Amino acid sequence: MVEARSLFAFVLRQIFKILCIAFAIFLLVRAVPGDIADMYEARGDYDAQQLEDLRASLGLHDSLVQQFGHWAWNALHGDLGESMRFGASVGDMVLAALPSSLVLAGCSLALGLLLGLMLAVLGLAFPNSKIGPWIESLNIWSIAVPTFCTGILGILVFSVWLKWLPIRGQMLLPVLIVGIDVAGQIVKPLYEELKETSHAAFVRTARAKGLSRWRIAWRHMLPNSLSVIIALSGVILGGLVGGTLTVEALFGLPGIGSLALEAIRGRDYPVIQAAVMALAGFVVLVNVLTSVLHRCIDPRLARGNQE
Amino acid sequence: MTSRSLPIGLAERRAPLRFRLHWLAYGVVAVSLLVGIFGSALLTQDPLAQDLLARNLGPSAGHWLGTDSFGRDIGARLVAGTRLTLVVAFLASLLALVGGAGLGLVGCIAGGKVRALVYAGFDIVRTMPPILLSLALMVALGVGTSSVILAVGIAYMPLFAYVARAVYEREMASGYVAAARVIGAGPWATAGRHILPNMLGAMLTQVAIVLPRAVTTESVLSFFGLGVSPEVPTWGRVIATSVEFAEQAPTSLLFPVVALAVLTLSLAVVGDRLRKNFDPLRAARREDVSHG
Repeated sequence: MVEARSLFAFVLRQIFKILCIAFAIFLLVRAVPGDIADMYEARGDYDAQQLEDLRASLGLHDSLVQQFGHWAWNALHGDLGESMRFGASVGDMVLAALPSSLVLAGCSLALGLLLGLMLAVLGLAFPNSKIGPWIESLNIWSIAVPTFCTGILGILVFSVWLKWLPIRGQMLLPVLIVGIDVAGQIVKPLYEELKETSHAAFVRTARAKGLSRWRIAWRHMLPNSLSVIIALSGVILGGLVGGTLTVEALFGLPGIGSLALEAIRGRDYPVIQAAVMALAGFVVLVNVLTSVLHRCIDPRLARGNQE
Repeated sequence: MTSRSLPIGLAERRAPLRFRLHWLAYGVVAVSLLVGIFGSALLTQDPLAQDLLARNLGPSAGHWLGTDSFGRDIGARLVAGTRLTLVVAFLASLLALVGGAGLGLVGCIAGGKVRALVYAGFDIVRTMPPILLSLALMVALGVGTSSVILAVGIAYMPLFAYVARAVYEREMASGYVAAARVIGAGPWATAGRHILPNMLGAMLTQVAIVLPRAVTTESVLSFFGLGVSPEVPTWGRVIATSVEFAEQAPTSLLFPVVALAVLTLSLAVVGDRLRKNFDPLRAARREDVSHG
């Protein structure tokens, strides 16, 4: 019962957090000197009266709190407003951009988890091989060299030099680049966790029974480290949002990141708000999911730690 | 846990990449610093001079690293951009340190509601990935050098705040703090006299971790056109100009990207060695694991 209540409180806190983020983004976006009407004015397409009408029709004369209340009320009813530049429904624009981002994030995470797991287990199963040191190197590489750089290097090698892939619009290179990045971040903590586990009594028992190293690693040690994997992939998924933002822009993928960037360049408030909210909301959602999963798998957490 | 207590075969080895490269990494960082300080004085070419007859060139005797789409010398632009790239990253990290650790520490010392409020704030900031947050901040602050420093600094504040809290809690639980409290030292005096000096190592380590990320974030912001003002050649700006012409002048894109990758990798390797040598949190975690 205590468990359910603390979980409920946790979810409530996350919802409050999303609201705070929404308001913060709202303020940030509105703090920009100059609005879209100014952009039209600079282009010289409108006279003063038309600009006034445009501002009035977009609600730019109301106070910030009024504007936010208006936005939040509509958003709760599923209406995210209209793009100031294209007049299209923002909700539709976000929905159209969502699949591309989800496929990129999902495929990269799957590839990264698989690669990271394989490497960590291999490193443990064959401790005398050179795998351990290479895990370290891959880890520091992926932490230090940003996907921004590997992305451009990838374009130079595979698109410009080898001409195997087009520069823009393909998904293979982005998934590979972000996936390897994820693998590099996940592999070392996982490897160290597994190494700790390798001292446990049940591992010695399994070894004494004559089980193969591979089998011990997969069947006995890995399930024991499942909660660590979940915690890690939660952190990684959160970080993935930032990574996909860059990679999407680099490879011209029509995802949420590109949508946000394009909107930021064009001062399209409702689209910026919705796209940035979608990205931040995704991070919060992942936090909630990993936390719930964590409690399901490791009952010690639910009992002891309230955080 | 030392390597001797591991069973045979699990003994830790040195990573080949790090083992061979860590002196190289120190070298790269040192050279970048020197170039940042003295580079502009040694330049023979004007980084801003356009030569429309020499656009998108590969490496040659006249332009060692080639030219960009305006015919500007890539090498000169990289050298000229080194100082700003390093200064922006360093100041942003410093701001993150002072703001994050400072606010966090004040919150911790004040305790109660203040502490809860401060960390609720950091928790919200932490939800946004640094690149996304600094982008949003740049929208509000407008393009410019000080905006970049502010945006990147704020984005990395939570990192310092949470480490500060962890160190604070660990130090508060230790015997010498209890002793100080017993002889009548107030919470502020205890924090200033005893906890702050002990926090320095962990904080420097965090700076070493954040520094390469700040370099990257600045570059990505410039790449998106939301960094320092357009006429200033930071590395991200140089990359952004060249990426449009990747097919015509691949080397003009290759050199700045390799420079950026080598610098961030070197900074990270140096930071990683610093962390290995004196990160109290890491040592504390290790102890926790072996006790539990």
